[in-house]
Amino acid sequence: MLRLWKKAIILALRSRKRYFVFTMMYTALLFWSSYSLHISSVQTTTAVTSFLIAMGISIFLSLLYAWVITNYRRREIATLKCIGYTNRDCKTIIIGEILFATISGFIIVIEVLFHFVAALGYFYSAVNPSVPSSQLPLISLPAVLLTFGIFVSVQLIGILLANRRVLRVRPIIALKKVGT
Amino acid sequence: MSSLDIMISASEVNKEYRREGAIIRALVDITVDIKSGEFVCVQGPTGCGKSTLLNVLSGLDLPDSGKIVFDGENISRSTEDRLSRIRRQKIGFVFQDFNLINTLTAVENVESPLWPTVLRNKEIENRAIAALRDVDLLERKDHYPPQMSGGEQQRVAIARAIVHRPRVILADEPTGNLDPETEQQVMQLLKDINKNYDTTMIVVTHREALTKFANRVIKMDRGRIASIK
Repeated sequence: MLRLWKKAIILALRSRKRYFVFTMMYTALLFWSSYSLHISSVQTTTAVTSFLIAMGISIFLSLLYAWVITNYRRREIATLKCIGYTNRDCKTIIIGEILFATISGFIIVIEVLFHFVAALGYFYSAVNPSVPSSQLPLISLPAVLLTFGIFVSVQLIGILLANRRVLRVRPIIALKKVGT
Repeated sequence: MSSLDIMISASEVNKEYRREGAIIRALVDITVDIKSGEFVCVQGPTGCGKSTLLNVLSGLDLPDSGKIVFDGENISRSTEDRLSRIRRQKIGFVFQDFNLINTLTAVENVESPLWPTVLRNKEIENRAIAALRDVDLLERKDHYPPQMSGGEQQRVAIARAIVHRPRVILADEPTGNLDPETEQQVMQLLKDINKNYDTTMIVVTHREALTKFANRVIKMDRGRIASIK
């Protein structure tokens, strides 16, 4: 099982464009949602609306990613089933890829936040040196962690779709000629 | 012939498909025994049911009626997971389009059937390297499929089919995408594997010229066995 998770990560990384595009989208959404969640105590209505929009996009993205992976890998899944992979083995690889993209997005968000803090500190101190650092509009860690938790939960919807689609792939497809 | 010698036994197997409202009888009352260590060619024109026979014999597809006994086990009504495990332990597949994963190197492709097993990583790597050596492609182990010729890709696919030491190898038009010279090399490789490892080989082909490699040729026509020689 652990070996299949590792292979899922390798397959995700080697799919390059797809992985990069979706990870970047997750990063942007995580940042947006975390920020909305952070400011919700001050500007409740705007922040909640903004957060809900980000969640809606996240659900759409999760479904889209699951659909893209299972569609793109349809023949690979069929081949894996032919060479003895059970449905569970195939699902592990697909789910691993989806979760890895989300976790990568989270790690990038943490990295981005450091730069965000540094940039804000620099510009605020340049404009008004008397503003103490505690008053900078920083995104708190709990808001980021909560958003990440919600995003992982949202991925369950994509995972359910992936599960359904993996089950529907018949191994016999692998024997059909390409293009038929 | 004792029942112990028989690797796959099909009796009274029927299979129908529905296509655009019409019923196509792909297999009609097929009864055939394939012995352990045999090299069998299933030959016939396009659409005669030879690939369907291969699918049914390997458990990729279930017959509508009749019985398939694979290595002593009736697989006609087995669950999908049970069939997957049988394929993992006992069957190797070679496809016309090679079906390698383009984002994995040659050695990773060969290792892939062993990933869900309990074998240690080192053992998996050793077996994959041995399989690549068997197909004389060790020097290309770190290359990706798109960097290899069709013949080389098919040899990687054959290495993948033998890495778990299966009892049976099923090949569906394995030379369909290869030039005549490579075709002979690939068929000879399958013949060598059959001889050296006593692996039962079932090759589906529409090319009559390839039947010279077989111990027995099953000719099919319109879903029926026309002759067995």
